[in-house]
Amino acid sequence: MMPARKQAESDWQWPSAGSVARLAAVLIAAVLLQTTVAPNIRILGANPDFALVIVVSVALIKGSETGALFGFLTGTFVAIALMEPFGLSAFVFVLVGYLAGRYAETADLSAGFAPLLSAFAATFLANVLFAMAQFLLERQVPFGFFLGRVLVPSLILNTLLAAPVYLAVRLWLRGAGDLRVVRAR
Amino acid sequence: MLTLYFRESGSGPVHAVQGAVLSVVQPLQSGTARVTQPFRNGWNWVSDLFHAKSENGQLRVEVRQLRAGLAQQLTTQDENAQLRAMVSLQKDPLFPKGLQMVTARVIARSTSAWYSTVTIDAGSNAGIAVYDAVTNGDGLVGRVTKVSPTAAQVTLITDQQSYVDAVVLPGDLKGGAQGILAGSVTGDTTLQYVDKNAKVQVGQYVMTSGTSGRLQSVFARGIPIGQVESVGRQEVELYQSIAVRPFVDFHKLDLVQVVVR
Repeated sequence: MMPARKQAESDWQWPSAGSVARLAAVLIAAVLLQTTVAPNIRILGANPDFALVIVVSVALIKGSETGALFGFLTGTFVAIALMEPFGLSAFVFVLVGYLAGRYAETADLSAGFAPLLSAFAATFLANVLFAMAQFLLERQVPFGFFLGRVLVPSLILNTLLAAPVYLAVRLWLRGAGDLRVVRAR
Repeated sequence: MLTLYFRESGSGPVHAVQGAVLSVVQPLQSGTARVTQPFRNGWNWVSDLFHAKSENGQLRVEVRQLRAGLAQQLTTQDENAQLRAMVSLQKDPLFPKGLQMVTARVIARSTSAWYSTVTIDAGSNAGIAVYDAVTNGDGLVGRVTKVSPTAAQVTLITDQQSYVDAVVLPGDLKGGAQGILAGSVTGDTTLQYVDKNAKVQVGQYVMTSGTSGRLQSVFARGIPIGQVESVGRQEVELYQSIAVRPFVDFHKLDLVQVVVR
């Protein structure tokens, strides 16, 4: 009998060219939305994190491995576009993509709140990691500012953003037929 | 990747890869920035409409003050020119005279609360170099901190790692109070290291001083920065702390001018 790991490896298939092209389009959209559109939307003193929410959505739909890779590429391209330190966003988004993907692989996602819950948790994790990185880089990280002007507004904004972004990404990656199946259930 | 990035110089391989990929991404960013421009303008128009009435009152008061100051300034300017001629004082560059400018558009902006930076669509190909000052019609925006052939990163004066040599004007016979304008993580700007005995009042103007101690500053003299918002003096402190309200609205940055050297 074939061991479970080997079985899983033999089951794994390379994604089709069409699937890769669709993911690439989502990646470009994520980077452009994050660098050129998000800075102009300012609610509660914070900007929405389109890139993070899109990474979470892709991970929930495609699983942990694709989620981690997509997170890495999104973080890298956002850092390139903004000329920010290379690797920081990539590291945070890899973790977020992998964990959101694992959540999708191990939990029941039929409940409608799964994308919202994932976006909430991902925003919390990403903000804490970014704040820790700033602390290590010897930049000012006042706790009151972090809590009141960064964490709480981001949690609210990104959680609200999660539902429409998840639906749009799912529609784009799986097609309209997938949503009709969900509605029929 | 992080370790490599922070340990290598600005011309290292990771920075080179970043520059090369940015050259590909930059046209896409420029296109998106242009497409979203009408929406941004529309939103700004609506938000400006809400503040228009109160702003109108403030501007009327400011115009009255400026009109009163203009006559005095013209007289002083004339006297200054005569005195300079008498003592044969060499003219140093005073913003914007004698300075070469490169106009660029803001194509991306960091949404991180920890960095106050923007990316502009002109780089070393247009003659832009690190430490060049960046201004717009309102005043000082920041300085160039990274350059690629087709784009450059500008660190705003509100960033917590931004320091600008500044002077409070009008000063007394000894000149204006000098200090260092520092940004902060909250986006507030304060003029630090100002002598406790220097007389600074709310409403005075803050400009770049053009000097950093005995050295020349990276910022040309006379670039408007902002107005004094509050002055904090404490007996136990060696210096006074002065809150400055920048003239530039950093949320509405679009076209900027880079002062190239």
